[in-house]
Amino acid sequence: MSDFEPKIVAFFCNWCTYGAADLAGVSRLDYPPNFRVVRLPCTGRLNPKYILEAFKRGADGVWVSGCHPGDCHYIAGNYHARRKFVLLHHMLETLGVEPGRLHFSWISSAEAIKFQEVARDVVEKVRACGPNESFRKAELGLAEVA
Amino acid sequence: MMSLEDLIKKIQEAAKRALKEGKAEVVLGYQAGTTPMAVAPLFARTEGDCDKLVWSNFAKTNLSTYLPELKDKKVAIIAKGCDARSAVGQVVEHQIPRENVYVIGVPCTGMVDLEALKSKEARPVAASDEDMATIKLRGDGWETNIAKEEILRRNCKTCICRTPKMADEVIGDEVPSMTPDDYADLKELAAKSPEEKMAYFKGMVKDCLRCYACRNACPLCYCPVCFVDETRPQWLGKSQDEMDTFVFHLLRGFHCAGRCTGCGACEAACPVGIKVREFNRIMEEEVQKDWNYIPGLDWEQKPPLTTYRPDDEADFIR
Amino acid sequence: MATNKVVGAVLVAGGGVAGMQAALDLANAGYYVYMVEKSLAIGGRMSQLDKTFPTNDCSMCIISPKLVEVGRHINVELLTLTDILSIDGTEGNFQVKVRKNPRFIDMSKCIACGECTKKCPVKVDNDYNENLDKRKAIYVQYAQAVPLKYGIDAEKCMFLTKGKCGSCKKVCPADAVDYDQKAEEAVLNVGAVILAPGFTPYNPREMETYRYADDPSVMTALEFERLLGATGPTMGHVARMSDHKEPKSIAFLQCVGSRDINRSDNGYCSSVCCMYAIKEAIIAKEHSKEPLDVTIFYMDIRSFGKDFEKYYEKAKKAGIRFVRSRIHTVEPLKDGGVRMHYVTDHGQSQSEEFDMAVLSHGLVITGETKDMSHKFGLKTDKYNFAQTSSFAPVAMSRPGIYACGVFTGPKDIPSSVMEASAAAAAASSKLAPARGTLTKTVEVPAPMDVNGEPPRIGVFICHCGINIAGTIDVPKVVEFAKSLPFVEYATNTIFACSQDSQEKIVSLIKEYRLNRIVVSACSPRTHEPLFQETLAAAGLNKYLFEMANIRNHDSWVHSNNPAEATRKAMDMTEMAVAKAALLNPLTENVIDVDPTALVIGGGVAGLNTALTLSTQGFKSVVVEKSDKTGGLANRLLSTAKDESIPEYLAALQKKVAEDPNITVVLNSQVDKVDGYVGNFETTLTTGESVKHGVTIIATGAQEYKPTEYLYGQNPKVVTHLELDEKMKAKDEAVDEAGTFVFVQCVGSREPERMYCSKVCCTHTVHSAVTLKKKNPNAKIFVLYRDMRTYAQKEDIYKEARDLGVIFIRYELDSKPKVTESGDVLNVEVHDPVSGRNLLINPDFLVLAAAIVSGRENELGMKYKVPLDDDGWFFEAHQKLRPVDFATDGMFMAGLAHYPKPMDEVVAQAQAAAARAVTILTQPRMTVGGIVAEINQAKCSGCGVCVAVCPYSAIEFDEKGKAKVNEAMCKGCGTCAASCRSDAPILRGFTNAGLFAQIAAAL
Repeated sequence: MSDFEPKIVAFFCNWCTYGAADLAGVSRLDYPPNFRVVRLPCTGRLNPKYILEAFKRGADGVWVSGCHPGDCHYIAGNYHARRKFVLLHHMLETLGVEPGRLHFSWISSAEAIKFQEVARDVVEKVRACGPNESFRKAELGLAEVA
Repeated sequence: MMSLEDLIKKIQEAAKRALKEGKAEVVLGYQAGTTPMAVAPLFARTEGDCDKLVWSNFAKTNLSTYLPELKDKKVAIIAKGCDARSAVGQVVEHQIPRENVYVIGVPCTGMVDLEALKSKEARPVAASDEDMATIKLRGDGWETNIAKEEILRRNCKTCICRTPKMADEVIGDEVPSMTPDDYADLKELAAKSPEEKMAYFKGMVKDCLRCYACRNACPLCYCPVCFVDETRPQWLGKSQDEMDTFVFHLLRGFHCAGRCTGCGACEAACPVGIKVREFNRIMEEEVQKDWNYIPGLDWEQKPPLTTYRPDDEADFIR
Repeated sequence: MATNKVVGAVLVAGGGVAGMQAALDLANAGYYVYMVEKSLAIGGRMSQLDKTFPTNDCSMCIISPKLVEVGRHINVELLTLTDILSIDGTEGNFQVKVRKNPRFIDMSKCIACGECTKKCPVKVDNDYNENLDKRKAIYVQYAQAVPLKYGIDAEKCMFLTKGKCGSCKKVCPADAVDYDQKAEEAVLNVGAVILAPGFTPYNPREMETYRYADDPSVMTALEFERLLGATGPTMGHVARMSDHKEPKSIAFLQCVGSRDINRSDNGYCSSVCCMYAIKEAIIAKEHSKEPLDVTIFYMDIRSFGKDFEKYYEKAKKAGIRFVRSRIHTVEPLKDGGVRMHYVTDHGQSQSEEFDMAVLSHGLVITGETKDMSHKFGLKTDKYNFAQTSSFAPVAMSRPGIYACGVFTGPKDIPSSVMEASAAAAAASSKLAPARGTLTKTVEVPAPMDVNGEPPRIGVFICHCGINIAGTIDVPKVVEFAKSLPFVEYATNTIFACSQDSQEKIVSLIKEYRLNRIVVSACSPRTHEPLFQETLAAAGLNKYLFEMANIRNHDSWVHSNNPAEATRKAMDMTEMAVAKAALLNPLTENVIDVDPTALVIGGGVAGLNTALTLSTQGFKSVVVEKSDKTGGLANRLLSTAKDESIPEYLAALQKKVAEDPNITVVLNSQVDKVDGYVGNFETTLTTGESVKHGVTIIATGAQEYKPTEYLYGQNPKVVTHLELDEKMKAKDEAVDEAGTFVFVQCVGSREPERMYCSKVCCTHTVHSAVTLKKKNPNAKIFVLYRDMRTYAQKEDIYKEARDLGVIFIRYELDSKPKVTESGDVLNVEVHDPVSGRNLLINPDFLVLAAAIVSGRENELGMKYKVPLDDDGWFFEAHQKLRPVDFATDGMFMAGLAHYPKPMDEVVAQAQAAAARAVTILTQPRMTVGGIVAEINQAKCSGCGVCVAVCPYSAIEFDEKGKAKVNEAMCKGCGTCAASCRSDAPILRGFTNAGLFAQIAAAL
């Protein structure tokens, strides 16, 4: 298992966590290269489908991160997002998605260190889960290959 | 307890009154079915129609499912607790105007689970009769009585709204609610390993035909385009691929979060007997636990995914 | 040069939050702005804060978009490292001489890669971190600085001081270092000047008994703030600087260099320290791994602002200990801790040990600002704050020069922002004829029509010198990009952002008929607007652009793994290309703006708003529900500065009556509201209908009618306003009265009204001083809980004490008892100093009754704007948008927002006008771009999107389907994520585009 390199899809809001990742770069804070970032205006934009889509396409992990509650650039986007996350997180855990595969965090644009710490931890936790075998679609239909 | 005959009489009276007083142009209720152990919906528009209204222990259909189509008319609905709750949901979700729906609430002691009944009496049934507590079946040279208590539908066993108090009028005697669902099975499941959980749920839906009968029966599935029919971009495969099917049930359950009133119409509609409501129950438990929210009890309530509290808890978010 | 022509430009001195707000309001209202900042970058003190009270918002997160907006605004010219030498001329036409000091960096070349800093051998105290750590001699002030350009500290640089080194020049990949830059002088012609020089923290070095100078366990609050900051010297870990141990107990000492004329000459209250101490205490407890005990030693807790009292209560519940006391000595201990020696409220001496101490320093005007005031002929008070009147709170003594922020008195961020907008309004009040004469607009060619064309994507992979190419195999990424679907052209570029690269992109777009552009380089947060401008210049819709951040998110963080970094860059480029292929050109539409304001409420706030709007030539309709204008001011006697309110009000009403731009409708209220920003239509209860582009809510507040202390039963018991009315009427009973008792906090700061009414303490001390001056023999007692005479108002409190007014403190659980026996009123109160109950028989018992909101919920519903639990209208952002509602085109002023004194009411009214002008000044407003739309074929009309939209931008149409108002949508996408049937589409972030990105990522 030691040579298993997980693939992780990350959804960051533009204003906070994407900014934290920018700042981590400026500060040259290294972390594992295992995730690919999809930039969203706000975690409020995160349709739960995207998380399911990532897993269905074989992502070994998903990481969602946005502004701390109260810091939303759009006043309340992350509050609405949080309720969806609560439900989706519970649903996936109940259905047997390993807790280590799906991660949520609030990281402000000033928290580069927290970004680095969470990034490392997310990769380690997903690595520990091993490859996503149970929540990936075996064969992608033609229409879905885009 | 009021007899079934008296209750039916009261229903017919209430229906006539609603038409006469202009509370409704149509009364939505049940009429006797053409086969044993079944009733059918009735759209009563005249006093004469109202005489056909019945009540039954087999009135499992959630009549509120018909309300959105009739939203431009004033409709009175003969509603058990779960039907009434769904109607509340439809009003809260702007599918029907509150002023166009008049709820005639019928206290309900639960409906029969046909599968359970079958397990008690598997022989072919020629005719059925019933009173409030007993189902009487007759076949070729045999007759048997079965206590309804023993063959209640699963959702009826934990019904918290046997008397729809939010109705515009309630006829019949109030019936105390049941002990609410304690989700013991889900709690037990939570202790299992992810592999076991996944296997359990995948096994549960493995026979799914993707016929969407569950969706069609649901009074709260009214989207003009359901996510399963989405084509641009097509997101969910339409075949019976294991993962697509699994995700269909997952997301259907998610979409019912904070909305499902546990009427059981979906399960009752499934041709292959999948316990599709399990996915809804997962959400139901969480919505109650986190936000103390039970759908369909209050005409003014705000569904949990349309609002938030700044101090909502979400410990898993770091 | 000097003519009498009015100039449509304004100079704003100071790039802190106040200066930035003033600059943006002016630039958005049609004036050209020179923003002069003496340091390397704008941002001011706020950029140093970790969090802000009372919401605990991340300071950098909320200020950062504002920095970027100032930095990129076409009508704000940023002059950093610049000093003002002289101001000649008069209002409307000033000549301001400035000196631009050398940065020694060519700003057009610097790419802020930081290679220079890495190599620079000179370590210097880092002032951004309050000198708790080191920076280099070549540096950026902080990571998010605007402009994000390095600069050389000329006093510390080895090359500039000794001619040795030069390593920064050697390593700079962009050849940006220029040691030969010289200071340049320039004369700027402007119509007005706004001064927002800010403050410096009081330096407690001189206070020897606090041991700040020699004990590292004693630090200032701003230093402690930096400790809490994620970008601070300890990255947010609370640690004692002496031994880097995490403290288990911290003591905060309030009023260090404030309310103190013995040791610091600063008699004023610094207004913010109680709140920032509470904030730092809360945050420190959150950051500590071990349980942390925090004690705040204070004289009075001054939590007088909106939601401050609740914050204070929350702190108490969180276990923060508040000790009312006077600390006289801090004694260093051998273990690195400190022993605090203090005298309690009851006069007892005590001492207690802590692991460290934080001094809550006051806010001080710098010597430089003091000299500037002197040099430019500006009057200041004895503390060097700008001298202003309550009725013109931002106007300085020299016409045409205005002040805002802490320069007019110590204040918090929202008050500074309010004043900044007020200063923008005041500064432009005489410049309206020149509005729009000096501003620039960008001319872009009409975009070509690419609808129906298959995507032809151009991909540019940036080397960023060696920043990217040093780690990532750029040619390999280019080759890979060429293989991707729809990619027509792919190439590398040394610096994608450089002028020549931009030109190359333009010509390649034309040559290859490229209709989508992908740039794999740095962060879209900093560079997307630049490339979008390039697209626009090439005639391509600017939304047909996507970036992959292969520098910040890749090469800079994976330099130890070039192979994986290259693979990641390929994936990221593929994701960007996949999304780009599905991008559509987005149109921006224009809507007409009705250049009229509706002002609801004809009090001082409403009238001032209307008058200020009139200076810019905009008409207002003022709706007043009573039969006269003036509101609560009709009942007030004088301001804290002893200015007559009746005289002022009469003059104000006269001005309004004579102003042809203002229509006042009395005995009227809002009945029905239609429309949105730019195009409201409001029907009044009197029947008339008003078309207006903006709405200002200035509905005021009321005085609480007490039910306690025999009010309404005994004629000697009166409220503040009633006493004012008696004094205005020269009531003999007041003149002859020998004894007055004032009771503070009547109805305020109690569970059912957990807020401070802000104005009552000052009102009481001002009344007491007025009475004492009239009758020095009068005995006056003030029964209070915490005296909250913030800012310079502390002087009146002191004056009252000096005049012999007696102040007795009471606790909430032992309120004064008031009884009557015949004609005699008995007030019994416990005196904590003597430990005894005192009995007073006053001729007047004056109740400082709370200010209560009008609870205008219905009005709020009509305009879709929220109120808080106490009934105050709820602003878009408590810190940075204190007069705006979240809903565009809606503003507020005066007591409808929160209780406040006259000067703050006038400032907020002017501010509301300034904010309104930014909309009214545009004959047409551009809307659209990245906004949502509804695919109505999929809409069930369930209303989820309507409910979740934070901007009330979605409504049901006549068919019961959702519809987005582009003028109000901000593009967050919460609607799109909430809809079960995907009816809302967020342009620029569509499902198709995001699914494509996800697919490409895997």
